[in-house]
Amino acid sequence: MNEKSTERLKPEYDVVVIGAGNGGLAAALELAVKGAKPLLLEQHNLPGGFATSFVRGRFEFEASLHELCSVGSVTNKGGVRAFLEDEAKVEIDWVPVPEAYRLILTDEKMDVTMPFGVDAFIDAVGKAVPGSRDSVETYMRFCEGISDALGVIGKLQDKPDLTKIAATIQNLPAALKHIASTTPGIVNFLKTLPCTVEEVTRTFNIPDDALKIIYPYWCYLGVPMSRMAFSLWAALIIEYIRLGAYIPRMRSHELTSAMEMRIRELGGRIEFNTRVEKILVEKGRVTGLETSAGDKIKTSCVICNASPTLTYNRLIHPAEEVPEAAHRNVNAHIHGGAGFVVYLGLDAPPAELGINEYGYFISKTMDTDAVYNSLGRLGMTDMQATICLNNAVPDCSPPGTTILSMTTLYKPDVWAGVTAKDYFALKNKIAGEMIDEFEKALGTKIRGRIEEFEVATPATFSRYTGTYKGIIYGYEPEPWDSIITRHLALKDENYIRGLMFAGGFGAMCMGYSSALLSGRAAALAALKKLG
Amino acid sequence: MNKTIKIKGDLTDWSALFDLMPNRKKRMRNAQPVALTSDPVRELVRNIHPEVINLVIDSVRDETASAKTFRLTPDIDEGTSALPIFRAGQYLSFKLPVGEETVTRPYSIASSPLDAFERGFFEITVRKKEGGFATGRIWNNWKAGVKVAASGPCGFFYHDSIRDSSEIVGLGGGCGVTPFRSMISDIVENRLDLRLTFLYGVRKPDDIIYHDELRKLEAKAPEKIKVVFVCSEPGESWTGPSGFLSADVIREHAGGMEGKTFFVCGPQEMYRFLDAELEKLNLPRRLIRREAFGEVTDPAAFPGYPAAAVGKSFTISAEIGDELFEVPANSAESVLVAFERAKLSPPSQCRSGECGFCRALLLEGDVFITPENDGRRLADKKFGYIHPCASYPVSDMKVRILRGA
Ligand SMILES: Cc1cc2nc3c(=O)[nH]c(=O)nc-3n(C[C@H](O)[C@H](O)[C@H](O)COP(=O)(O)OP(=O)(O)OC[C@H]3O[C@@H](n4cnc5c(N)ncnc54)[C@H](O)[C@@H]3O)c2cc1C
Ligand code: FES
Repeated sequence: MNEKSTERLKPEYDVVVIGAGNGGLAAALELAVKGAKPLLLEQHNLPGGFATSFVRGRFEFEASLHELCSVGSVTNKGGVRAFLEDEAKVEIDWVPVPEAYRLILTDEKMDVTMPFGVDAFIDAVGKAVPGSRDSVETYMRFCEGISDALGVIGKLQDKPDLTKIAATIQNLPAALKHIASTTPGIVNFLKTLPCTVEEVTRTFNIPDDALKIIYPYWCYLGVPMSRMAFSLWAALIIEYIRLGAYIPRMRSHELTSAMEMRIRELGGRIEFNTRVEKILVEKGRVTGLETSAGDKIKTSCVICNASPTLTYNRLIHPAEEVPEAAHRNVNAHIHGGAGFVVYLGLDAPPAELGINEYGYFISKTMDTDAVYNSLGRLGMTDMQATICLNNAVPDCSPPGTTILSMTTLYKPDVWAGVTAKDYFALKNKIAGEMIDEFEKALGTKIRGRIEEFEVATPATFSRYTGTYKGIIYGYEPEPWDSIITRHLALKDENYIRGLMFAGGFGAMCMGYSSALLSGRAAALAALKKLG
Repeated sequence: MNKTIKIKGDLTDWSALFDLMPNRKKRMRNAQPVALTSDPVRELVRNIHPEVINLVIDSVRDETASAKTFRLTPDIDEGTSALPIFRAGQYLSFKLPVGEETVTRPYSIASSPLDAFERGFFEITVRKKEGGFATGRIWNNWKAGVKVAASGPCGFFYHDSIRDSSEIVGLGGGCGVTPFRSMISDIVENRLDLRLTFLYGVRKPDDIIYHDELRKLEAKAPEKIKVVFVCSEPGESWTGPSGFLSADVIREHAGGMEGKTFFVCGPQEMYRFLDAELEKLNLPRRLIRREAFGEVTDPAAFPGYPAAAVGKSFTISAEIGDELFEVPANSAESVLVAFERAKLSPPSQCRSGECGFCRALLLEGDVFITPENDGRRLADKKFGYIHPCASYPVSDMKVRILRGA
């Protein structure tokens, strides 16, 4: 009866978004909010990319989210909440994360739990390390200044004029006076822009033990402090500590599904199970795309949620349209960490297991160079960031049960030599060691209570999103390749006209909030181009 | 408060800032201008989780009057040169052509992982179902030389060294013996380090699939494998245990129960029966692992089913892309089957509500979802996504179907 030669999309769209991860969804959402009717294509059968969940037995596991930055409370909204709630009218049931983190350094015998709130945080460090309070306070205030300055610059994008930042900095001497008077801290911001965290932090003479307590969020950027861009670090720690962290009540699938629904409601078009095979380029300009479902779509504007690495190496057609400079660009970046997560559904409640916090950073040491080096070995690394979801959302699993997830990172080439035959044994070996490490650190026993068990390796992340080598952390943000420098270079490094990037490999660097806001920024830039 | 800091030793030195972008440019200039042609992790994924496996039927063997075993080898002509490794207990979702379209059916891999990886074949055993849609076709069409396509290995019915005990009790019924054959072979081939007591319930002695083979495997590793056949309609000559797989039978043959993990696979009636029996054994839920339930064919028998929908026919407006189809549906068949009858070939894999492959957006109308098979995410429930393989129409509906995977 039904003639199904159909499934056809319109032959032409003003703008197409490739990939429904955080970046792509945010881009399509912003476009839809502004009245453009975007087409969003996703290869998987659900939205979210890494921002998703999965069900095993009576448990629903969060795939990737630990905690979202820049959400803030209803009365003190961060950029993410303001965008979703106020601008896009996307309702999410945000749940606050109870504490910043519990840090356990197993070789250094340190175990502290840190609160949110800048003052409380400073007090807690001061209490844990007598004599550190003053230097820590100076440091945190300094970081606040940097974060505020970045905020001011970030807002310029609302205009939305990324080149303004460039102009500001390039005409610095003239502009300096003016900016310095409007935003205290901006001079420090500019001065520290070329610096690593270590270069700046060491000038504050903070006692070593206090630094160890301050540094754990480094895991969320995955670059050792000797190379991490200071300004990004300052913004990250302040955004977390000042605004607190949040998660959607029903895992990140709630966040991404809510965005999906709103995009549909606003007339945007979303197709799942549709992989873009080719981005067609002629004479340096995007002309259209072809998909795995056989669609041939004309468009002059593509926002790509796939990484530049993937896009330039696999998607641009013909390949000769990728200029050498684009390849150099990809190869100049330092590819960030690939993910490894152990998911556990336990048949005992958290309190019975002595698991009383939401977020744990468990690490041998806080020597970030040493820990980073351990990410290059095919075995258990020196750190894990572990989440107990029930301690933020008590009813996330049935009464009497617990959801735990343990995350670590690998350098991108570590899993390259793994063969299919060794794969299952290897992932269980590493997962088992991580479980042992967690048990040791907390003095608890979770083996024997495991009802559901799943492991995501770099191969898993590659499988579900196609990400190069299973990378979940974008490019490493060193000072030359951090948020401001990437924005300044946007125009120069736009190798194909009509092609923009959104997501964790984009100009805002990695992380949920960055990816979301980068999508929004890309959409605004696209709208400007479309006129 | 705004402490001034020294950068490169000079408070008034802005050169580091001005060098930042030139530095970036320099790094780009010095980088290799070449494409990255390989991604070994992607290759690994392709080996472990191929999207499609193209197979050709190598041989067919009769097991019982109603069960046949098909040996399948890679179809090199269609692009499959080797078979993936899998975990004993997993299944393949076969894509069966029906005219221009396809329907899927899941079948457990009955051969061992090494059979696939080193010897280059899979075996599946299919029991003919009276009035069955797919098995009838399989009986008629699957002969040596015929090409068939399947998904990569999927499902979660496998032993895991971290989660499960190394002392296993397997409870199988009817065709549910298939994953156990794979597990037992895997143990005998020394890849799974377990002790497994397998209780296999059938109606009549003639219904036992792999009888001799299982005995042989048992003889190869008697310290690890014990197989017990249990007949509910044993007849005269039967000397083994009889009855159903009741708590008593399990207690008698599986020895001390303490800490052992139970693996259960069989027809739906058996799951229902065993739910009650296992309750008597007072096992923590952690220790009971059950294979996917399979497609429900009698939704009205489930508690909570709206009586008014029994025997009704409905119309589903199905949106795919920009197209709208009117699909007739009846309340006893899943929404997935309605789409398949209408030749829309929506994606599917487990047909048990578990894998989410068939995920579709319910725009209007209502469905009944059997609790056993409601494997949806919380947010999917909130936003109206359903798994059509586990959803039964109880009104006219409008559904957005995802394009075929
Ligand atoms: C994880 C798993 C593993 C399994 N492993 C095995 C195994 O190893 N061996 C084994 O034998 N079985 C196995 N099964 C069961 C197997 O998948 C089939 O359910 C079984 O073979 C019966 O298939 P059938 O099509 O013959 O019967 P049914 O599926 O019962 O066929 C009838 C169905 O077809 C529908 N139908 C009727 N006409 C049409 C039409 N024109 N178009 C579309 N649909 C129509 C009907 O509504 C009904 O739902 C497994 C099931 C699961 C879930
Ligand atoms: S086919 Fe697996 S959930 Fe429907």
